[in-house]
Amino acid sequence: MTSGPPEAPQQPSGQASRELLVRVDGVSKLYPRVHHPGERLRAFAALLAGREPVEGARVLNGVSLEVFRGESVGIIGENGAGKSTLLKVLTGVISPSRGSVEVNARVAALLELGAGFQPDFSGIDNVRMKAALLGMSARQLESRLDEILDFADIGDYVHEPVKHYSSGMVVRLGFAVVAASDPQLLITDEVLAVGDESFQKKCIRWIENFLERGNTLLMVSHSMYLVQKLCQRALWLHQGAPRQIGGVFPVTQAYLAWHEEKNAAERRHRSAVQGEGGLYRVAAFRLPGHGPGHGPATDGQAADADLTIPAGSDLDAELILHSPDGRAPVALLGVIRADGTPVYGVASDFDGVAAERVDEQHFRFRIRFERLPLLPGSYSLRGHAMDPEGLRLCDTAEIRFSVCGDSRELGMVRLPHRWS
Amino acid sequence: MNPLSNPVFRQLVARAVRTDYLHNLTGFAWLIVQPLLLLAVYAFVFTTIFKARAPAGEALGFVPFLAVAFWPWTAFSESVLRAAGAVSANAALIGKVAFPSELLPLSTVAATFLMHMVGYLAVLVVLQLLGTPLYWPGLLAALPLLALLCLFACALSLFASALQVFVRDVGQILPPLMTFWFFTTPILYSADALPPGLAAAMRYNPMAWYAGRLRDFLLHRDFSLGPADLVVPLLTLVLFGLALAFFRRFSAHFEDFL
Repeated sequence: MTSGPPEAPQQPSGQASRELLVRVDGVSKLYPRVHHPGERLRAFAALLAGREPVEGARVLNGVSLEVFRGESVGIIGENGAGKSTLLKVLTGVISPSRGSVEVNARVAALLELGAGFQPDFSGIDNVRMKAALLGMSARQLESRLDEILDFADIGDYVHEPVKHYSSGMVVRLGFAVVAASDPQLLITDEVLAVGDESFQKKCIRWIENFLERGNTLLMVSHSMYLVQKLCQRALWLHQGAPRQIGGVFPVTQAYLAWHEEKNAAERRHRSAVQGEGGLYRVAAFRLPGHGPGHGPATDGQAADADLTIPAGSDLDAELILHSPDGRAPVALLGVIRADGTPVYGVASDFDGVAAERVDEQHFRFRIRFERLPLLPGSYSLRGHAMDPEGLRLCDTAEIRFSVCGDSRELGMVRLPHRWS
Repeated sequence: MNPLSNPVFRQLVARAVRTDYLHNLTGFAWLIVQPLLLLAVYAFVFTTIFKARAPAGEALGFVPFLAVAFWPWTAFSESVLRAAGAVSANAALIGKVAFPSELLPLSTVAATFLMHMVGYLAVLVVLQLLGTPLYWPGLLAALPLLALLCLFACALSLFASALQVFVRDVGQILPPLMTFWFFTTPILYSADALPPGLAAAMRYNPMAWYAGRLRDFLLHRDFSLGPADLVVPLLTLVLFGLALAFFRRFSAHFEDFL
């Protein structure tokens, strides 16, 4: 699942009216190594000669991105994936080693906590500087100063040096100036997370309003909730390269699933030694009617997760168990999330279900999960062979599948509910 | 882009003036008192201890001779030394906000020059009050000269501040270089007093021209023009253009080295 389906962002109007605001074309960034004087000199010599530095940290590798007016794009990825560097390249704070960047809009960026704030100066002085950096003239600032102080809502602290501020207050002031600068393109890094609950809400309301006016947003966040709430599209950066770009739901879900699998893989590795060889084995395990190519995965290995089931549809599974002694084994079926969290499990003897004998040594179980209430994400269905007493787990097979849908509900399972 | 109308430039200058000169209540008073105290010290040292005599033909005495050239030199030298570190000192700003970073050294030069010019004016006024007949109309010719000197400081600052990002040793080399330059420029002495070989070499020192012309305008009422009066201003302008191009060529890479 290295690349998702190319998903066209929903545009209210025709293609012709789409105005390209940001074009990032094959951008790579290599930070030269400059710790020792020798390295500095070598890197500087490379710079003078117009060559790329020989050694360094490659933070971005071949990133391309197009953003049109009115779009909102979330940039996601694990720590060190290059998200902040991409934003820095976009705002022109750093220049790419390769590739090109074009931005045709009045940009306001909130890259880091208190970007451009000098700790020794008072809040109001820093507001003046920040406003100037955002391109506001002194007169414009005077007319919007009340609005800014009102939005920041930090009271008389504006006259204190910024070094006495809490990090939340710095963000409040920073965001207030950005909001007042009337940008067309807002670029934010993970800064909103610092503010308290009520200020975060205020910012989110402001951003929603900002987007409704037809403006454009590029944001980095680790909160998939926030990304799904504010963005139409998402770019998943992995080790400096784009891993998936597309609609916000498929990309964020794939990203979350990847995280869950990464965690589960670590756990699996730890428990791999506990594999038990039992008498009763899984002979076949499949999901009939859910597309081809999901053959038996009887050796306990997970099959490829190429099964996609729309949320709310029926899920059918068939489990054939092999019993050497001809006694009917018990089947245990379980749904687990990709990170290993159990969602639901049920055994045939709980429900008093008898196996259908296929031949002397094989028994078939069929199960249907009606209107599958799983929320979008990656899951596995596990089929286990247990001894006829239902006491000992003998064998396991696993089929991975993902549930797709545009739901923003949280958790794993949709609980039936009614608002009143 | 004219930096004088740039709000960021104005903020930076205002900030530099406040932190470096007006950080206490009496800051503004010191701005005038300090140069005057310094003038008193030089007057005492050079007229009493060293018994320095004004060069031949210098009717106005040694102290005016020194003061007229010394304050512009201080403005120049201190601007360059301060501004050389302006980019590295503002690493936090450069890594986080996109703005023309040449404003950092330029605003430092502007602030330093501005403050020293206030002191210079105070010194000139006091000299006049103490009985030195300064030629005040000469100030009209001296002002463009000082502006040009400021531009010269800007040019060197752009070179030095950009270079210092990549080669940090610049910050260590510059102060002794400036001291050497001070003593090889006829500020404490007159170029006429030099041996003929050295006097000829002075033609390649633009600061000698600046110091000489300031004395000509303010003390000697000498407004005759020579080839140097065309060459040095032109050289200053060309140097400034080159320095700005140099700075902009490398400013995109500052963040990598800071």
